[in-house]
Amino acid sequence: MTFKNAFALCAALSVSPLIANAQETLTLYTSQPNTDAQQTVDAFEKANPDIDVEWVRDGTTKLMTKLRAELASGVVKPDVLLIADSVTMESLAADNYLFAYQSPAREAYADSLYHPEGYYYGTKIITTGIVRHKRAPETPKSWADLTKPEYKGQLVMPSPLYSGAALIHLATLTDAPELGWNYYEQLQANGAMAQGGNGGVLKAVTSGSKPYGMIVDFLAIREAAKGSPIEFTFPTEGVSMVTEPVAIMEGSKNKAAAQRFVDFLLSKDGQALVLEQGYLPAREDAGVPAGFPQRDAIKLLPFDAASTLKSTDENKSRFSDIFGG
Amino acid sequence: MLTASSDNQLRWLSITLFGLVVALSLLPCLRLLSEALSHWDRGLDAPLLSILQNPHTWVALQNSLYTSGLGTLISVVLGSGFAFVLTLTNIRYRALWIFCFMLPMMIPPQVTALSWLQLFGPASPILNTLGIAPALGSPQPMYSAEGIALLLGIQHAPLVFLALRSQLICLPKDLIEAAQLSGASQWRLWIDMIVPLSRNAIFAGAAIAFVSALGNFGIPAMLGIPAGYSVLPTLIYQQMAGFGNDVLSEVASLSMLIAFLVLIGMLLQQWIQQRSSYSLIGHNAQPASFRLGKWRIPTQILLCAVLCLILIAPLAALMISSVVPALGMPLTADTFTFAAYNEMVNNQGSTARAFTNSLLLASLAALLLMIITLPLGYRLMRLSLKARAVIASLIEVPYAIPGIVLAIAFILLFSRPIPIINVTLYGTLTLIFLAYLSCFLSVCLKPVMSALSQLDPALEEAAQIAGATPIQRLINIVLPLISPAVFAGGLLVFLIAVNELTVSALLWSAGNETLGVLIFNLDESGDSILASAISVLVVVLVASLMALLSLLAPRLPKGVIPWHC
Repeated sequence: MTFKNAFALCAALSVSPLIANAQETLTLYTSQPNTDAQQTVDAFEKANPDIDVEWVRDGTTKLMTKLRAELASGVVKPDVLLIADSVTMESLAADNYLFAYQSPAREAYADSLYHPEGYYYGTKIITTGIVRHKRAPETPKSWADLTKPEYKGQLVMPSPLYSGAALIHLATLTDAPELGWNYYEQLQANGAMAQGGNGGVLKAVTSGSKPYGMIVDFLAIREAAKGSPIEFTFPTEGVSMVTEPVAIMEGSKNKAAAQRFVDFLLSKDGQALVLEQGYLPAREDAGVPAGFPQRDAIKLLPFDAASTLKSTDENKSRFSDIFGG
Repeated sequence: MLTASSDNQLRWLSITLFGLVVALSLLPCLRLLSEALSHWDRGLDAPLLSILQNPHTWVALQNSLYTSGLGTLISVVLGSGFAFVLTLTNIRYRALWIFCFMLPMMIPPQVTALSWLQLFGPASPILNTLGIAPALGSPQPMYSAEGIALLLGIQHAPLVFLALRSQLICLPKDLIEAAQLSGASQWRLWIDMIVPLSRNAIFAGAAIAFVSALGNFGIPAMLGIPAGYSVLPTLIYQQMAGFGNDVLSEVASLSMLIAFLVLIGMLLQQWIQQRSSYSLIGHNAQPASFRLGKWRIPTQILLCAVLCLILIAPLAALMISSVVPALGMPLTADTFTFAAYNEMVNNQGSTARAFTNSLLLASLAALLLMIITLPLGYRLMRLSLKARAVIASLIEVPYAIPGIVLAIAFILLFSRPIPIINVTLYGTLTLIFLAYLSCFLSVCLKPVMSALSQLDPALEEAAQIAGATPIQRLINIVLPLISPAVFAGGLLVFLIAVNELTVSALLWSAGNETLGVLIFNLDESGDSILASAISVLVVVLVASLMALLSLLAPRLPKGVIPWHC
């Protein structure tokens, strides 16, 4: 091969990804499981054939670390975010990274589910409870049960260093007077394993390598409905909750398409997809998926968004000190 | 007139090339060093001091030393065993054995880890299919220090094998025959001749295996992170992934710690190699060969059994878990499904993107390195021995220091826009590309140098007398003669880069996923079945590329292709 050929090939290879980009492209950062994210994107693209969505999936906490690093370098990659919790959104809004958009669809939602100035909109109600394998010997009823000796080395949970729902869960439980940080120390002493995200917990419990787990409701309930040998419990003390909000980045160069994405998620069709995927939709008139209790039957633990916002970094490093890594 | 312009050409060529080497090798290391040693104004909270005070650092260091040490021991046993049998005996199908034994080194570590995970534990599809899966809640044995060490050992055994085999090949047959004629027993032959002559090669191989194990990220990431067992590279990764650029200075200090350990290992290995350079005369003599006689078939069965255990069984587990509907289910005619392949190939947009990115990165890196290494090697050969050694070891540094350290160095260098031209490389594919160039320069350069050193200078001198300029000579004389070696170097780079995880794990961003990152992220989010499907495709890709290289082997200088020496 001569130099000339090689260079020509180089040039051709480096240009090729740029061709065939006549359409509008929207970049989405999301923490939804891979298959759900693809379904959401497919449904949106079907309704908006002129927009291509390129998406990246990672755990919320991990994704935000990446985003923060990119923002610090002056690079804005995503146009829209669809991540686990509103506290993360609040911190981004406080740093002026989010774009305020008053979606006409917000009328159908409870005030608490979206930011009054329109920085973000909750799309689902996701709680964290306990999952057990059906052949497991114990049936845990409360969070406190998990620290008992019968559960030694048998519990798996998502890591707050990876998952946004797990970070909110950590903040909620450590704020609860009867649990607190002491609870997480006891879990660690009882051999609980903290790994990756909720998907990892589901894998460990369905496959039987750990019979009990802390997990988000929809993953466990929908897998159980498909025939997986697991069952989900709402513990007696109450559960923590996130709303999987969607938001537009201030630096987005494609705000019109981004607004259509937000509107789509909040629309009746968008919420019908949420229901079909087995999540509890944020929109109250959208119904309840199979396997869920009625909305008012779910007991929520108290949650202080403002203090959580302040203590996020401290919570992460304290957790990292207890569980290592 | 002619000489003036040719001198000019040469000078420019040299200056450009050495500028490139400095930019790719020296700059990242210096930036890392300056960050690690910075912020002394913070007193006891200075990054270097604060990581030295942190107990996590010491735990990770201890774990790193334990897993790498145990792993090296396994590498030495496996590697030297195979080297003795495959080099010194008249065993059959030698080429096939070597190919199979080298395969684990070329399979990306995250795939190796994933396949071993599918082999054990209550969810193992292969154990479930056989109906012998362990009880609910029994621990996954691979999630442990010993699991990590075992896989590190298997992954790096080929390094010991190669180091020892190249020494054993030089063991001349006549020497052994002389000893046998003088009545030496088989036992005395081993104790007095073979062991002393190969001891240094084993030590050198062990040192390389140890250094590689210290820097390995894929295996402890997949097996250690879930169990909360951290080694230095995963500690760095988790700090970066969890806390981001705020902890960059601390992480840079941690990186220096590994780089320091690795450098000690490298120096040790070089020192041992120099000691063994008393070497043997008569390289061209027939290599020694023991007749196995009636032991030949049992030996072959033993080799086969070991390979089944370390290669075939995990790969079979990987394949089986890619065709079951969900983890923990057995494989039967009813459950068999290509759903995971269908999901990955047809539905998930990230698969096509990751394949495109990895193939693009790997082929561009291979091409560009082929273009650079040819004139670079050519110039290096014309330097004094001492200068050549200095520059060669400079180029070696980015390859030897762990990828995770190099990634941190690149983040440090490029997280802000480049001054003057004001372009931000952070979060682009170009950044990964530059890191690859830095990392793999020495991989490509080695075969080129070895081919150049075997070139007869008379050819070029004849061209010079006929008035050819250095560039003309390079293109018309040298290139055609060493093109197979250049190509082999490029293919090796491609093979390693296409599966690379460690560097890209920290440098990837939206739309810039690589194959390694894709597999790692899928497994972390719990989609092991999907990860297995992609891994199977990757193994097929690797094995076919290796086979392609083997076909090229007869046209290459000896030792260019690692599994064909």
